[in-house]
Amino acid sequence: MSFPLILTERMTQHPSDSHLIQRYESTGGYSVMRKALGSLQPADVIEQVKTANIQGRGGAAFPAGIKWGFLAPAEPRYLVVNGDESEPGTFKDRQLLERDPHQLVEGVILSSFALGVNHAFIYIRGEYPKPARRVQQAVEAAYEKGYLGQNILGSGFDLDVTVHLGGGAYICGEETALLNSLEGRRGEPRLKPPFPAVEGLYAKPTIVNNVETISNIPWILENGGAAFAAIGDENSVGTRMFSLSGHLKKPGNVEVPMGLTWRELIYEVGGGIRDDRELKCWVPGGASAPWFVPEHLDTKVTKDDVAQAGSMLGSGAVIVMDETTNVVAAAHRIVKFFAHESCGQCTPCREGTTWLERILWRLLNGAGRPSDIDLLLDVCDGISPGLAWPPKMTTICPLGPSAVSPITSIMTHFRDEVEAMIADSQEVANA
Amino acid sequence: MPERPPPEMVTITIDGEEVQVPKGELIIKSAEDNGTYIPRFCSHDRLKPVGKCRMCLVEVETPRGRMLTTACNFPATDELIVDTQSDVVQKAQEGILEFLLINHPLDCPVCDKGGECPLQDQTVAYGPGESRFVEEKRHFQKPIPLSEIVLMDRERCILCARCTRFSEEVSGDPLIEFVGRGNHTQVITFPDEPFASYFSGNTVQICPVGALTAKPYRFKARPWDLEAVESVSMVDASGASISIEASQNEVLRINGVDNDATNHGWLSDKDRFIFQAVHSDARITAPLIRDHAGVLHPASWGEALDLVADQLGSVRGDEVASIGGANNTNEEAFALGKFLRTVVVTPHIDAQVGDGVNPDFLAGIAPRATINDLDRADTILVWAGDLKEEFPSLFLRVRHAVNEMGAKLIVVHPRRTGLDEIATEKITYRPGDGSEVLRKLTAGEDQYASARTLLTEGSVAAVIGLTGRAEDPKTIDAIAGYVTALPNAKVLPLARRGNIFGAIDMGLAPTLLPGRVPVSSEAGRNELEGFWGPLPDTEGRNTAEILSGLQDGTLKALVLVGADPVRDGHNPGVAREALDEAEFIVSFDMFLNDSNQHAAVILPVDGFAETEGTVTNAEGRVQKVNRIAPGPGQSRALWSVLDDLSVRMGGQLAAGDGQTIAKEIATVAPAYRSLSWDRLEWGPERDGVVMPDGDGVQTLQYVPTDEGLRKAKGRLTLHSGRVLYDGGTRVSQSPALATLTPDPAVHLHPRDASALALTEGQDVDVIGELATLRLPLKVDPTLAEGAVYVPANLDSTWMLGAPDSVAVEPRPEDKGSVK
Amino acid sequence: MSMAVISDWSGPNQERARRLLDSYPEKRSAVMPLLYLASLEHGYLDAPGMTQVAELTGLTSAQVQSVASFYTMYKRDHVGKYLVSVCTSISCFLMGADDVLAAIEEESTSPDGSTSADGTFSVEHVECIGACGGAPAVQVNYELIEGVTPEKGAGLCKWLRDAAPAVVLADEMQELFGSIRSFDWGSKEADGAVAPVPAFGPYGSAAKDGKS
Ligand SMILES: Cc1cc2nc3c(=O)[nH]c(=O)nc-3n(C[C@H](O)[C@H](O)[C@H](O)COP(=O)(O)O)c2cc1C
Ligand code: SF4
Ligand code: FES
Repeated sequence: MSFPLILTERMTQHPSDSHLIQRYESTGGYSVMRKALGSLQPADVIEQVKTANIQGRGGAAFPAGIKWGFLAPAEPRYLVVNGDESEPGTFKDRQLLERDPHQLVEGVILSSFALGVNHAFIYIRGEYPKPARRVQQAVEAAYEKGYLGQNILGSGFDLDVTVHLGGGAYICGEETALLNSLEGRRGEPRLKPPFPAVEGLYAKPTIVNNVETISNIPWILENGGAAFAAIGDENSVGTRMFSLSGHLKKPGNVEVPMGLTWRELIYEVGGGIRDDRELKCWVPGGASAPWFVPEHLDTKVTKDDVAQAGSMLGSGAVIVMDETTNVVAAAHRIVKFFAHESCGQCTPCREGTTWLERILWRLLNGAGRPSDIDLLLDVCDGISPGLAWPPKMTTICPLGPSAVSPITSIMTHFRDEVEAMIADSQEVANA
Repeated sequence: MPERPPPEMVTITIDGEEVQVPKGELIIKSAEDNGTYIPRFCSHDRLKPVGKCRMCLVEVETPRGRMLTTACNFPATDELIVDTQSDVVQKAQEGILEFLLINHPLDCPVCDKGGECPLQDQTVAYGPGESRFVEEKRHFQKPIPLSEIVLMDRERCILCARCTRFSEEVSGDPLIEFVGRGNHTQVITFPDEPFASYFSGNTVQICPVGALTAKPYRFKARPWDLEAVESVSMVDASGASISIEASQNEVLRINGVDNDATNHGWLSDKDRFIFQAVHSDARITAPLIRDHAGVLHPASWGEALDLVADQLGSVRGDEVASIGGANNTNEEAFALGKFLRTVVVTPHIDAQVGDGVNPDFLAGIAPRATINDLDRADTILVWAGDLKEEFPSLFLRVRHAVNEMGAKLIVVHPRRTGLDEIATEKITYRPGDGSEVLRKLTAGEDQYASARTLLTEGSVAAVIGLTGRAEDPKTIDAIAGYVTALPNAKVLPLARRGNIFGAIDMGLAPTLLPGRVPVSSEAGRNELEGFWGPLPDTEGRNTAEILSGLQDGTLKALVLVGADPVRDGHNPGVAREALDEAEFIVSFDMFLNDSNQHAAVILPVDGFAETEGTVTNAEGRVQKVNRIAPGPGQSRALWSVLDDLSVRMGGQLAAGDGQTIAKEIATVAPAYRSLSWDRLEWGPERDGVVMPDGDGVQTLQYVPTDEGLRKAKGRLTLHSGRVLYDGGTRVSQSPALATLTPDPAVHLHPRDASALALTEGQDVDVIGELATLRLPLKVDPTLAEGAVYVPANLDSTWMLGAPDSVAVEPRPEDKGSVK
Repeated sequence: MSMAVISDWSGPNQERARRLLDSYPEKRSAVMPLLYLASLEHGYLDAPGMTQVAELTGLTSAQVQSVASFYTMYKRDHVGKYLVSVCTSISCFLMGADDVLAAIEEESTSPDGSTSADGTFSVEHVECIGACGGAPAVQVNYELIEGVTPEKGAGLCKWLRDAAPAVVLADEMQELFGSIRSFDWGSKEADGAVAPVPAFGPYGSAAKDGKS
């Protein structure tokens, strides 16, 4: 595998000070910003991002260039960087925020310049005070250098950046909930349309992008969109941060080009299963994603291949479970997460996820009934009719339907284990 | 004000049928208007969609295939295809109901909402048969009070956000909110900050389940036992539509009715709960005659009426005067006016009880605005009392016009009003300085320049009334003169008392005959004489002149009709002396009060919810009020009593019944030629009819003049402003409201307070001509400098009356001890 | 803006509040950071704190309470000196987080969701805190430790009780009680937490306060 490290090169080379502006600048940082503000038109920047064909790294994998094209002309416009990263299994943005905050800040400057934005926000989850401190320090350093503020480097371009700390709510990662939260409201997702590109923050046109998406922008502009598009697979390009966790020998964040197989990612990059046990299953893209089992090992790690196999790459979180795993307990943990994080607006999400959690809890505690399997699936059906992927939704946002994934996963791949668990309970009850 | 252009229509398909609907109309409404009801909980026509209960799911065809969406927030676009019945939709609806019910207590038999509960109804219509939920339900402590009036049963709440949206969007007092998240969410207040909203009852009405209940109605009845009639609230002259619900002759509940023209369905808590006074034990239930010792004795109607006829007949007609009649129906007011002008033969008739607003302004201002004109105006000028306190449902309409329709708002008032927070411009002035404000506005001087621009550049709806009791009523003519000279303005006139506009239109004014005909118009008078025979040809006295006439003996007898000039007038001292001097007073009333203490005869008459007829609001809109309960004891309809009295006095009222009177009104009152009860019943015109309409003619040309406008005199001028929950009889006889009357304070501007060396909270003496009040001091930076604000008509303030100027001093015992 | 309403806040925090209100196009946006300031000032987010934030932002107290209660990090009840948050979400669960929680509950004498009698600890289980590669993960006053075992979790509590650090530093705790990490943390950081409120930027990083 030969590929450039787009996001993690600096921190790998300079572990002690990659977060400081001196190091950032001494390794070429902020030079592309000087160039862009001095000699490029906003449209040129957008063009490069479109050419790069970079898919958003926040979960939905929507091409960033196309999203930018939707931004409505009204003024003012805003850019919001989504650093809420709270999907179980995901911790890649934390590394980018903490270890190379200037890369993000430069990305914010370039993106704002391209989008005609004069005030950008970086929303960081509340449980990330250290990354937030680092980003805040980076922003302050950039102000001191005149890279932020009024008339940046004499270009006539103004930009303010506000770092905002969340309060502990996964749902604020959903972009419209995030905007509500940033407005000082409950983090409840909004009805769409209108989409943020038309009516976002303070009802003004707003682009929301993930930390990793924006962190790629300086490299794209420095090396050209085409260079980015040349890395990786046909349709899923560039490198990507994967957060590996669970029963692996080498868990942790990795930056790899798109288009490996799952086998390569799990067994080579992730070092294989701890104690060389058998792989039982894995969550391929964060807690919301339907699970994969060994038969998917040779599927390619791209948006389209994973979708075709019935799941998603999502936030890039790979959670690996070995043969010893009680899959009902694992599913219960994930469902419990969604029940805890439901904003509570939608009846099916609020009531349905809690109900699912309580049924699974009953199963785990030896009080399962044979009818519970149908009941679980039927409650899921009430949240996500048809139980298809991508899900049909009775809800405003995909959080509710996300809680369905672990249940359909265990019912598809491990129904016998669920049935056995219920049978055991019945035996105990009848004994 | 230009009418809005008609909406563009698009064709959509609902369940296979093509229909035409306005572009952008929400599917839920488009479907309902075309006969398909989509079930819902959170959606409410007057609130912004939140799409959160998810009950209204439908399927729509999109380029990417069929998609589930909520109908309550999905706008109609051309060629949209909607399926409200598909298997997926039905399954989803069953699912939502099951989800809602898993935590909902099944206590329907003891729930106020049982029988009229959408959750109950929809479960029957769309729900699954049985619950598969075997876990324990969510539990909360049983009903907790959110305020003195509203209780919350959190277990029943389905988190539809109707109540919270109402409070935030409509009434602007977000005191109840969601707390917690997800399955732990509940609706509640901040600790120790109750849901003290003037509009809290609306949340009870729109709660789709029995989570919010109102103390006055709680456990009182089952919905299926209730009988209902539509009517109009008589709390103020905005004409809010209501339904009155009763069981076994007892009024138990009032709900708002959605009238596009007036209240949009909303009511203040005063409109909603004041009905309690109807069944108060303090109601007079039999005619009362005062003996020589001053003690009241019940008497028969015959005995009492004989006495009244005898007494009124024993003096010259023009020695009799009448005060009141503004809380009655048009038909009653008309009968009263006819009785006074043709049987007693007196011109001294005044329904305003001393407010003294030029009746020509109230009946004849042109061009006159409708309430809906607020929604069409570029700018709204409110130069009147604090609408939140005095005209609460109009207050909500102004909020709506500003917040939803984008109108700019200018408020002119002596102190902070409920509208200030949404006002573009606020002009604070001292009562008495009105002409000064007008001069500066006209000139566009300094801080008035932007207000002037707003008033001269676009369409204006001006809401004009007295800012307080101590304001010179002529101020209104001056403002009207200014506003009618603006290039594009209409005026909505305001005056207090529920049917004051109807009373004046029916001729209960010293200068006006029925149907807005000036007494001074010979042609108009002759026309009426053609029906009624000879009439007094001079203008009569207004309340102030009536009182002085009683004092100086030029008047001898007084008819009080639901009026209490002692408590409710400008000068309680003068009023009391005048009533003492009167040789004979008869009072038609529901209650004993400070004025009919002086009456020789008190006759019980029917009141709110006990009479059928029409009323007229500030727009001139006539609406029907209806009867659902009989008056207590021997109480009778006013017109029928007057009928009997006329016969005894050798006259002829020929009132017959309310409907007969309405027909006579249509015959003799030019502006009301098109009045007919049939038009006002349920049907296309149930929103009421603004008079004149059809055959009706406006015969009155009001020409504003500001002659003799009083200038402020004295160091401190009084601003005597009304509060919603005053010390009036009806509030004090309604247990739900009586506890809500505020504790008064006297307000001074900080500079005046410091000039007088007074500090916040200290007890001070407010010294007026008639009385001295001892009240705590509130330093109020929102008050005009040089003004003293004292809330009017509270038990502890009414004695002050409404003198122009007052003095504020430390208590004698505090004098000299000042730092 | 009347700053009088927060006159019981320290001078630096009044200044921070002012700056926060200036950092956003609309002052309502400052609600969340102001809630952290109010929590820092009063030890937790009490009713007066919420009312102060309401006055600063032009909201009602009920609206502020509604916002605050949506998020898990605004503690509306007393919190111990050290808030120990144990992640029990899926990745940490797979790696034995429940045992870590049990050990911490025992050593700190505060069962999940409670505060120890001496006010030293509050213990809570939390959903994913973004340290899954270093599972099981624990936070003390939101400063992170990765790769915690039950023994090390208990040791952490003992150390907190005995050493009673005024400023909690992630690097220090990681060295003493952590093991595997989600990624190389790079250089050590002098900033840490001074209270069970996330310390960050304009509203309370220990280093910026000159307290470390
Ligand atoms: C429940 C939910 C949680 C989400 N959480 C995150 C998150 O933590 N971080 C993130 O960047 N995107 C998250 N997203 C996706 C965002 O809504 C949005 O698509 C993304 O920030 C856009 O950025 P991108 O186009 O650069 O990927 C979440 C979406 C949902 C529905
Ligand atoms: S699906 Fe759940 S989290 Fe999403 S908006 Fe609805 S209730 Fe909130
Ligand atoms: S009525 Fe549409 S979601 Fe509630």
